[in-house]
Amino acid sequence: METSESNQPSDETRDNSEIPSSSEKQLRPGLWDVVNERYPGSMIHNDDFVSMATLDKPLGECRLGFVSTSGVQSIGSMPFDVVHPVGDYTFRRVPSDTPADQLEIHQLKYPTDGANRDVNVVYPIERLREIAAAGVVGELTGNLYSFIGYNMDPRHLERTLAEDIADAFEEEQADVVLAAPA
Amino acid sequence: MSREYLKKAIAEDDKEKLIRYVRLHFGDGNEQAGTDEIDKAWIEALKRLIDFPPTNRKFIFDAIEQQSEETLAHLFFHLHFYFVQKSGDWIHDGNL
Repeated sequence: METSESNQPSDETRDNSEIPSSSEKQLRPGLWDVVNERYPGSMIHNDDFVSMATLDKPLGECRLGFVSTSGVQSIGSMPFDVVHPVGDYTFRRVPSDTPADQLEIHQLKYPTDGANRDVNVVYPIERLREIAAAGVVGELTGNLYSFIGYNMDPRHLERTLAEDIADAFEEEQADVVLAAPA
Repeated sequence: MSREYLKKAIAEDDKEKLIRYVRLHFGDGNEQAGTDEIDKAWIEALKRLIDFPPTNRKFIFDAIEQQSEETLAHLFFHLHFYFVQKSGDWIHDGNL
């Protein structure tokens, strides 16, 4: 992921009309004003876009990875640091054969009531296994991945956590990765 | 970025920006809720000391002496959430 560091307006003076988007349309106008009001200076501003990648083989032959910002992790693993004021830039590997009842959520910033009843609503591990068993995808990577979305230095996130997870998926020989926010 | 924003505020000793950031963190983006949460944590801590209960002061002194300032600062944030949770009034369900 490339990020331009030049010619960026300050966080407080940024003109949001500059922010391009896919299809050149802001689907939730005013969103960034709200985010900047609540989390001053937290927004990253990318001037460059990564071009859409294409698959070189049918999805049914692909190894699928999954990464989520849900803070889902295996019971017994080190809990995500939900109290740190600047965020947690670590990730957790979740073996893709982990039973759903062996997962827990460490996250404060989104409603987890539903996910605590059925983790699949934010971390569809059972649904992914089902589509792999049905042949929709070839197989799942050995591990699926998770981190928390409360990261108040997006550039640090981009250069460390995102890179680390990308490296992990390369090691897993993932052909395609599904990313889902919580 | 927000960390740069904070570092600039620290360099400029802009206390209002800094404490506002803390309030927003503790209030999951709601500044007034964060203010209330800070009050709640301190009140919970105070309530536990009001009857002169025995406490492990050696543990406290050892921690202060042996742990880094960064670890203690991290602990400070943990203790905030610990006492907020102990209050029984837990607002951090993502619904603010």
